[in-house]
Amino acid sequence: MWKDLSDLLWQAYEQFGFLPLFIQIALIFIGLAILATLVAYGSILFRRWQGYVYEKRVNFITPKIEDMITEQVLLNEQLGSVPVDDIEFDPVPLSDKIYKKPWVRQIVIDVLIQYRKNFRGEVGDLLRKLYIDMGLPKDSFDKMKTLKWERKIKAVMELTQMDIPISDVTILPLTNSQNPSLRAAARNAYIQLSKNDPFKFFDIATEPLLPWDQLDMFRIITTTKDIQIPNFSRWVSYSTNKSVVSFCLKLIAHYDQKSAIPAVMDLLNNKDHYFRADAITCLGKLSAEMAEVRLVKIYDHQPLICQIEILRAVGQIASGKYLEFLKHEFSYSSNFDIRMNAARAIINHDSDESRVIVNELMNTTYEENRIIIKHCLNPLIK
Amino acid sequence: MANILVVEDDEIMLKAIKNILSKDGYNVILAKNGKEAFDKLEHADYDLVLSDLMMPYANGLEVISRLRNDPAKKHVSIIIVSSVGNEETITEAFRLGADDYLKKPIMAGELLIRIRKLLANRTVRHSL
Repeated sequence: MWKDLSDLLWQAYEQFGFLPLFIQIALIFIGLAILATLVAYGSILFRRWQGYVYEKRVNFITPKIEDMITEQVLLNEQLGSVPVDDIEFDPVPLSDKIYKKPWVRQIVIDVLIQYRKNFRGEVGDLLRKLYIDMGLPKDSFDKMKTLKWERKIKAVMELTQMDIPISDVTILPLTNSQNPSLRAAARNAYIQLSKNDPFKFFDIATEPLLPWDQLDMFRIITTTKDIQIPNFSRWVSYSTNKSVVSFCLKLIAHYDQKSAIPAVMDLLNNKDHYFRADAITCLGKLSAEMAEVRLVKIYDHQPLICQIEILRAVGQIASGKYLEFLKHEFSYSSNFDIRMNAARAIINHDSDESRVIVNELMNTTYEENRIIIKHCLNPLIK
Repeated sequence: MANILVVEDDEIMLKAIKNILSKDGYNVILAKNGKEAFDKLEHADYDLVLSDLMMPYANGLEVISRLRNDPAKKHVSIIIVSSVGNEETITEAFRLGADDYLKKPIMAGELLIRIRKLLANRTVRHSL
């Protein structure tokens, strides 16, 4: 049978040269397509087989690792009576040859992290000690040296979860990586691990802080214990990275850093109006009374987005000095958003004077404006 | 020896809590979700239920609600152990009848103390 097949192929090969050119090209393409399909199926099957083998191994080894952690950490007799740093692990289970295999060590790291997410205090500290005593930080640091970004992210997250310091030389370049995911993971790790200057990477950040990264970073900053909060005006004044400045403005407002007001006011001269809008928002949230006169002065020359932010800021500062300005904007502006925000700003003052103006406007203004005031007066509408 | 039902969808956490509580002498029964918890509650009496909030099939709030609305199981103490930290959910858990709340990551020692305290209060209430 094989001989017949080889004869057939040989005959086809001999006749190939006599076939018309377009048939030859078509046959070549058919051959290549069949080959590519076989390679693709082969690689899919191979990867599935690899996944299956790995899953089998994980299912086999995980209970053993969990038992080891339970014995060494959760049921450790010394826990509670001896300081965590002085607790010695039973060397027999740890010296098992199986824990020398890289894939087993990786599963140990994954399980330890899972435990550490659920336990803090002495148990959490003892889990960290086990990670260190098993020499697992080296595995994580080795992963950081690979070229694959997803492995680097995994390594950064492992070290962060286990609270293992990473040297600036290693982590700082990653905070500026071209890869957004790696960059975000490295920045978050830096904030959590750096005890003295967790925002140092702002100094060298040339890549943008994406909105989602800012959200994630904000969560980490506000939930990490004992974090050193610097004066963010430093970056507002000197950083050339717009997203860093914009993020710092939000942090200044959140931490109510009134000493940053002069630096924020300097941004009112910036050519980028989105930037100016962020600065105005920040000044409003800081209730920066010293900035109010400047905000009102520049109002007429600003685009709509900045004008709206100025009205909001004046409403938040609520010094009462610019009620007439707000009344004027409410009464004479043709833009709905301006009138709405001017009305809100007047009402936000919540003073006798502002109430007199609101009453006066309700009696004198036309129907649409009255509806706006009623809408703004409704405490259920934010 | 008090009977404790632990309801938790994370298997690692489930085993870890079982080990911690068993070491302290409690009789621990495990359930991987709210539905399994309902089945186990039907067939045995428990002194305390330790439940997660976010679980498949039936969440922790439903577990509390079911326990508190059943006159035969009203006496069971409930501790919620969850990573959910928003005030609304915690308030809702207490409104439905949870006795205590622990936010993950937890401290093993603190968990044991709270369980002991709740069970002791329960005993005092019964003797009165």
